[in-house]
Amino acid sequence: MPVPVLCDTIQRSRKVTKLDTAVLSVDRVNKRFGGIVAVKDMTFEVQAGEVVGLMGPNGAGKTTLLNLIAGVYHPDSGRVIFQGKDITRCAPHKICHLGIARTYQIPQPFTNLLVRDNLRVAATYGSKKGDTFELDEILDLVDLSKQKGTIAGDLATVSLKRLELARALATNPTLILLDEVAAGSTEAEIPRILDITRQVRKMGKTIILVEHVMKVMVEAVDRIVVMDKGEKIAEGTPGEVMEDEKVLAAYFG
Amino acid sequence: MKIPRLTTLASIAVLVVLALFPVIGIPLNWLNYLFSFFIILALANMWNLLAGYTGLICLCPHAFIGLAGYTMAIGTWVGVPFQVGLIAGAAVAALFALLISYPVFRMRGIYFAIGTLILPEALKAWFNFWRPVGNEYQGMGAGYSVTGVAGVTLGDTYWLSLAIAAVSVFLVYIILRSRLGLGLTAIRDNENTAASSGVNIFRLKLSSFLIAAFIMGIAGAVWYVYSPRINPTGGFSISWLLLPLMATVIGGEGSKEGPIIGAAIVTFLRFLLADYGAWSLLIQGIILIVVVVVMPRGIAGLLRQVGAYRFPLRLLQAAEGKIHKNLK
Repeated sequence: MPVPVLCDTIQRSRKVTKLDTAVLSVDRVNKRFGGIVAVKDMTFEVQAGEVVGLMGPNGAGKTTLLNLIAGVYHPDSGRVIFQGKDITRCAPHKICHLGIARTYQIPQPFTNLLVRDNLRVAATYGSKKGDTFELDEILDLVDLSKQKGTIAGDLATVSLKRLELARALATNPTLILLDEVAAGSTEAEIPRILDITRQVRKMGKTIILVEHVMKVMVEAVDRIVVMDKGEKIAEGTPGEVMEDEKVLAAYFG
Repeated sequence: MKIPRLTTLASIAVLVVLALFPVIGIPLNWLNYLFSFFIILALANMWNLLAGYTGLICLCPHAFIGLAGYTMAIGTWVGVPFQVGLIAGAAVAALFALLISYPVFRMRGIYFAIGTLILPEALKAWFNFWRPVGNEYQGMGAGYSVTGVAGVTLGDTYWLSLAIAAVSVFLVYIILRSRLGLGLTAIRDNENTAASSGVNIFRLKLSSFLIAAFIMGIAGAVWYVYSPRINPTGGFSISWLLLPLMATVIGGEGSKEGPIIGAAIVTFLRFLLADYGAWSLLIQGIILIVVVVVMPRGIAGLLRQVGAYRFPLRLLQAAEGKIHKNLK
């Protein structure tokens, strides 16, 4: 077995058990919609316990990439490997069963169900048999305990974002795809979001984070993958990426 | 809100009283009305399961009903007793639902609705030509009379309809308390989220589709035991769609009591307006529009909104408490 280079980020995380295999590897994935290339030759890996940020200007293909991983779309070419299994052509619910959960950028709750039942759906159908965890703990984590008897459609936007995260956690995933959890939050709420992200990480989850709020990006992630026009233009620690010429060019022209 | 045994007892009592009606010799007209009510109730309950709880606006109940009716009618011509024919008809309806499920489930929302609307028309055309047993065009069109039901009394069909209505109510109740019900309501609210939360959308939709097709089929077949003559225009008539649709929408889509209220109103209207021919359709249409505009969640939704259930529920709870105390 080839021994991969241990980057300092992996050593920092304590929950790591397997170091020689990536949890997720995206291998030369392409996706086009009509004439528009949304994702082009994308390749990257995520190690167990890692928090990887996905960054890029609007329309760079970040959400499309998440959708390709989650099975909403299937790539035109390339492969997505999760824990050694090829999930490229799997249906979304299969991928959820395997252990990938995702949140939506624009919250997509079960509008007419109670907050508690939103989580029950995910826990009943999404988690593996024999998983034991308390939905109340998840609700506590995202500060929704008081609203668990509310109908999801009546929640405010911030709470809906939290509900997205809670629902994803309720499937007890290995890998969690967070699409802009902090977007729309006020400055004052961001420390709490960072805190939640850290706690999720402590639970042993691997995270891919799409984010526009720089503070969250820089403080929460180990590594950043930068995309522009569907392609990966840079990869590295937050410090490295911020000084990369291509990244600066993509953002500031 | 756990209202236990008293409601169970009450529903059993109602069921027993209803079952005794033919024995105690109430007017035959009443039995006729109640028979219609039970059939519409069974259909409305199943339509509500599809539209109100699964989010499938299914516009093809008449396909299930016609197929089940025809299966039973043709069965009686080749010596199958109608009791077996009822089940066989329902099974054929469910099989048809299974066959069409893959193509129609590829469509969502309004496209699903239109896709399903075409099916009964196709079947109607098919049964206009297809005549597996009996002579060419005996009687009207490609119709069949149901033979071997001469000995069946109004009481018998009444009991059949009561049974199927009770089963439909109970079934919805059970489904909503189960894992299946949770998944169905999730699909109704947001299909994408349901999928990414691990719900196998196709399988769950199919379950509810098959259940509905089976029960609708058997209810339709019971109707053709009561009125033992089926032809393509009648069997695949759009009124088989409009009755449960109106009952569900007027009563309240997505509520357990909605179809019961709605079915009662629709049955009442049907007999009240029976003498006015085409006018009755117009009046029913106006009522439907008014309901949709004034109370989009139906009568059940309105009752819930004004808190009409609160007082009776509290009364019931108090009674329960007293009974429990006395028993101890």
